[in-house]
Amino acid sequence: MSSVLLRLEGIGKTYPPTVHPGERFRAFWQLLTRGQSTGGTNVLEDISLEVRPGQSMGIIGANGAGKSTLLKIITGVLAPTCGTIERQGSSAALLELGAGFDEEYTGMENLHMNAAFLGLSREQIAENLDDILAFADIGDSIHEPVKHYSSGMVVRLGFAVVASVRPDLLITDEVLAVGDESFQKKCIRWIEDYINRGGTLLMVSHNMYQVQKLCQQAMWLDDGKARAHGDVFDVTQAYLAWHERRDAEEVLSHTPHDNPDLYAARRLQVQGMEQGEPQVAMGEELTIEVEASSPDGREPVVVIGIVRADGTPVYGVGNDFDEVPLERIGERRFKALFVLPDVSLLPGGYAVRGHVLDPEGLRLHDTREMGFTVTGKTREVGLVRLNHAWRHHE
Amino acid sequence: MAADWWRLLPDLTRREIRNRLINSSSGWLWLVVTPLLLLAVYGFVFGVIFNARVPEGLDVPFVAWLAVALWPWLAFSEGLLRGSQSILQHSGLISKVALPRELLVLSSQSAVFVLHMIGYSVVLVAVQVLGTDLAWHALPFALLVLATLYVFGLGLGLMLAALQVFVRDLEQVLPTLVLFWFFMTPILYAPEILPGNMDWWLQFNPITWWMEEIRAALFTGKWLPDLIFVWLVIGSVATFAAGIGLFRRLSPSFEDFL
Repeated sequence: MSSVLLRLEGIGKTYPPTVHPGERFRAFWQLLTRGQSTGGTNVLEDISLEVRPGQSMGIIGANGAGKSTLLKIITGVLAPTCGTIERQGSSAALLELGAGFDEEYTGMENLHMNAAFLGLSREQIAENLDDILAFADIGDSIHEPVKHYSSGMVVRLGFAVVASVRPDLLITDEVLAVGDESFQKKCIRWIEDYINRGGTLLMVSHNMYQVQKLCQQAMWLDDGKARAHGDVFDVTQAYLAWHERRDAEEVLSHTPHDNPDLYAARRLQVQGMEQGEPQVAMGEELTIEVEASSPDGREPVVVIGIVRADGTPVYGVGNDFDEVPLERIGERRFKALFVLPDVSLLPGGYAVRGHVLDPEGLRLHDTREMGFTVTGKTREVGLVRLNHAWRHHE
Repeated sequence: MAADWWRLLPDLTRREIRNRLINSSSGWLWLVVTPLLLLAVYGFVFGVIFNARVPEGLDVPFVAWLAVALWPWLAFSEGLLRGSQSILQHSGLISKVALPRELLVLSSQSAVFVLHMIGYSVVLVAVQVLGTDLAWHALPFALLVLATLYVFGLGLGLMLAALQVFVRDLEQVLPTLVLFWFFMTPILYAPEILPGNMDWWLQFNPITWWMEEIRAALFTGKWLPDLIFVWLVIGSVATFAAGIGLFRRLSPSFEDFL
């Protein structure tokens, strides 16, 4: 088998303006004379990726980020405005419910047509028919028009046909979210088996757990651009962190004030980084520095809080609880150096909050916040790793 | 992969044909009955009411003379209308399955052609049975002429289908234009009955040539290809090449405009 199943280079897509008949006619004329039209809405910009055999890829991103457009371009349904695509080996796509089914025809006729679209010959279809029907498991409904089917039945049939083809590259778009629990399990089992036997998957999903389970690579699309691309754990964690942070921004409105008459947090630093977002690997050391100013020279209280990026508190502690004084670095300036020697936070997006309170530790005067990301490869769920062990009953 | 796709053309055509017949319980029977009924209606209207005449020198009933040209026209014109709508009609399929879009135009036009050719056979047999001698030995030549008409229709259909994606108004205008074209073609009348030198203009209507060739074959037994036929072949192949060229240039953008 060749080394690359699919290669995209510099793919961009612009939807032309199509509302007014005049615009349509102008686009028609431009396409005819120059081969491309001008203007329109940019939905994808400069996407490059490679899928190698056995290296399944998940495409993730918020709604409207361009995931479906990208899949349509990959399957060849949609032509990109610029860039090149190379495909090798067979591929099959399962876009939306029952791609290409005609409602008026019976399930059997659609099955035949769909299998033919996927490249099966008449003889191959006849050979696989029993398997397909068994997988779809919709009984005698196969002889009914598809318009009488439930959405679950349509997906079952569509998936059964694709399953019988066993393409080198399988492209799916959220289809696994439909169908009942037992059929979903059947699909997942089939996909796992397909992957174990060397199949490759390209999937769009909002289910990060599924993506992590089935894919080795991921691409995060944000507003038509590839925001991150690479190892599935890094990308999905960065994506989740971004989501949590975005949710939090809407809730939390923090106003760090520089009022000289108040106890204030002058500076918050994580891991010695001056700018950008700090990262720390799970199990490593995390250092947090807070500088506080005091209007009257008395030593304030500093509380360090760790919250998940959406604002859920994880842990908080003040220097007065531990009875450790701050370091005085100026007449009215103090510094706290806080170290977590072994970060047991699970991978994801978090934030450090440095709170400065009055010397009595009663009133909160100022807060500074800084986000950071914990990286690592694990499928544990939750916020922190608790010490644990698995035992047998003796 | 490209060769594989063409396997689908017969499948898609069959599907189109079934689609036309799907809602009538005895669909295949109507394939025979409808042309015969239509033939009777035309015979009554033109033969009895209008008492229309055939060109001088031919000794055939008007209905037979009309029928021989009418069915090829029906196949051509209905194919054109169906073909030009096929992209919009199958937009659901186009947005989900990556198949060469020209297959959709070709299959819907082919389906129409097949159905009308079945009707044509029925009508020709009926004409013979009712006492008009047709030149059956010229049938192979007539079929060749029909084949070029089919190819010519495909070429035009591809152009119109591509154009219709961008210019939706075509859907409204096209049936009227086709009807106009019908009356500008000597199907219902012989060119000679036109006043003045109007019949001179008819030679600029390509379909005139096809109609004359088919009638010459089946009524006067012309069975050898002549220069006119060579031009029909050249014209139809050139139209098809232009049609598929235009279609392929525009088809990558169809999805954007559907």
